[in-house]
Amino acid sequence: MTDLNTTIGSIELKNPILVASGTFGYGEECDEFSDVNQLGGIITKSITLHPREGNPPPRIVETASGMLNSIGLANIGVDRYISDMLPKYDELDTTVIMNIAGSSLTEYINVLEAVEAVPNSLAGYEINISCPNVGEGGMEFGVDCDLTSQLTSELRQRTDKLLVIKLSPNVTNIAAIAQSAEAAGADAVSAINTVVGMSINPATRKSNVYTKLCGLSGPAVKPVGVAAVYKISQSVSIPVIGIGGITKGEDVAEYLLAGASAVQVGTANFRDPAAGLQILTEFHDFCDKNNISDLTELIGRLQNDT
Amino acid sequence: MRRIESGKVLSNHKLAKGMYRMDISLPEISSEVQGPGQFISLTVGEGWQMPLRRPMSIASIENDSISIIYKIFGKGTVWLKERTSGEVIEAIGPLGNKFSLDKINGKEIILVGGGVGVAPILYLHDQLSKDNQDHLLIVGAVTAAEQFLEHSPKTGIHLTTDDGSVGEKGTVMTMLEILADKVENPYIIACGPEPMLAAIYKFTTEKGIEGQFAVESYMACGTGLCQGCVIETTKNISKEHTYHQKYSLVCSDGPVYDINAIRI
Ligand SMILES: Cc1cc2nc3c(=O)[nH]c(=O)nc-3n(C[C@H](O)[C@H](O)[C@H](O)COP(=O)(O)OP(=O)(O)OC[C@H]3O[C@@H](n4cnc5c(N)ncnc54)[C@H](O)[C@@H]3O)c2cc1C
Ligand SMILES: Cc1cc2nc3c(=O)[nH]c(=O)nc-3n(C[C@H](O)[C@H](O)[C@H](O)COP(=O)(O)O)c2cc1C
Repeated sequence: MTDLNTTIGSIELKNPILVASGTFGYGEECDEFSDVNQLGGIITKSITLHPREGNPPPRIVETASGMLNSIGLANIGVDRYISDMLPKYDELDTTVIMNIAGSSLTEYINVLEAVEAVPNSLAGYEINISCPNVGEGGMEFGVDCDLTSQLTSELRQRTDKLLVIKLSPNVTNIAAIAQSAEAAGADAVSAINTVVGMSINPATRKSNVYTKLCGLSGPAVKPVGVAAVYKISQSVSIPVIGIGGITKGEDVAEYLLAGASAVQVGTANFRDPAAGLQILTEFHDFCDKNNISDLTELIGRLQNDT
Repeated sequence: MRRIESGKVLSNHKLAKGMYRMDISLPEISSEVQGPGQFISLTVGEGWQMPLRRPMSIASIENDSISIIYKIFGKGTVWLKERTSGEVIEAIGPLGNKFSLDKINGKEIILVGGGVGVAPILYLHDQLSKDNQDHLLIVGAVTAAEQFLEHSPKTGIHLTTDDGSVGEKGTVMTMLEILADKVENPYIIACGPEPMLAAIYKFTTEKGIEGQFAVESYMACGTGLCQGCVIETTKNISKEHTYHQKYSLVCSDGPVYDINAIRI
């Protein structure tokens, strides 16, 4: 039997499989299919200071082995998250990480401070930095080392909980952004968020998604995610959480070999809300078959002679 | 309760031009179905070529099996067409809400189905017929080749075709305007392509007629996780799963809405 425990910062996960932000709601929508307590953890949907309705439809289109989305961070806002969701997380026997989004440095800080001010059982925060910064003329936090560093250190000063920075793949040098997050005090980084994409209906000459530019996810982006994790893990010493296109147990092994200490399952939850558990079972089988006694035998153990 | 179930295809055959009917053995899901308007969502293709499930309205339920009526639209429905009896298909359901008959208050029901919108309308038609509840049914298509019901005005079944090759010539609107005028207190329940719903919307709004629509929307999950399948609402009808006021989640709060509650 393989020991599936893995550690991210000071947090020990019972297994390396979490569900990704925005693909598992607030963790309660699919109770009847999936016992979330068996998962390594849940990352809840991005929360902003105020509730957001999200973008007008259409918000979704299928692509080859993937999908494009532009939900527009629809969420209940931090006040309702605190009053309605946090108490429910007290009942869960798994690691719950809150994902925070914002359109200014102040917004991220305000959301985090609001949650820090109340007793709760969250393990920590994942910071979605793929958000346009209104103050900086709409430039995304996640594309700039200085902004990433400033945001990370401001948040670090305000929490002792786990602080994970979630990186965007839509940058020239993702490893440099990861280094900025590490230097500013992040406990871990996760990658990747969605890849910028677009889809046009040639017959109508219109975009298939309202906002035109949107985010690609699913198996189509898995190689992008694996490469990102590999590059990052070569340049930082904090743990990396791998995300992108995971649909089966071997995908988890692939991410771990590239250097991830844990992974998140996203789009696969849409086809099967119990995908995380299915992938966990498959991954466990993979480890047993390969006589792996614990995950350190996989994490970063890519063989260099091809 | 919603369930995920793999079921055997019992039959899969052509009903009319581009329209097919598939019966799938789904004892668990069918035992949970509450009524017409609800849908199931099917995985299509091998592997993850087509990652998203295809939502399909329940067209009838019989002895543990669920029937869908589908139109060939793109690669997913082409894949469905190629399934043969005995093959296994994976479904999630029942999803969404049902038509609510307690809002009708003795009014005269006119059902309108266009294109693939006939599926939930036929299920409702069967249910009303079983309950001996009087109602009229209008089913529209472009030509006779796409119709699979019998034109039977005497029993309240009115077909329309754009070219007049069967039934009344014109769109469902031609027939709807006539019938809505004839009955004293019409109540309209419709499902079909967006232009059809938009025309009915305009008509009912002008005439102050009440009714319900079952709408379609692109969705990734059908279970409330992705927040993708929204429709704009006119009032705050959001429920537990939507969390919002301006938009409603078609998969969980819909697909059935009061006509005056949404913007088409
Ligand atoms: C609640 C609901 C009930 C439905 N009931 C029926 C039914 O009873 N019979 C029937 O034939 N069709 C029905 N549809 C529409 C049906 O889901 C689409 O026709 C089908 O998904 C098209 O798949 P495709 O692969 O052939 O087309 P493609 O164009 O290849 O599909 C690409 C993507 O777009 C989505 N898509 C395309 N058209 C639609 C649409 N009209 N609505 C939602 N998503 C769409 C597909 O699901 C897929 O994700 C329903 C849709 C909804 C939302
Ligand atoms: C519909 C949808 C909504 C998402 N919402 C969020 C979000 O609110 N916050 C966030 O950090 N990432 C969000 N993501 C990105 C995912 O968490 C994940 O990083 C990405 O989809 C890649 O993983 P996957 O290929 O397994 O889906 C969303 C993705 C999808 C498809």
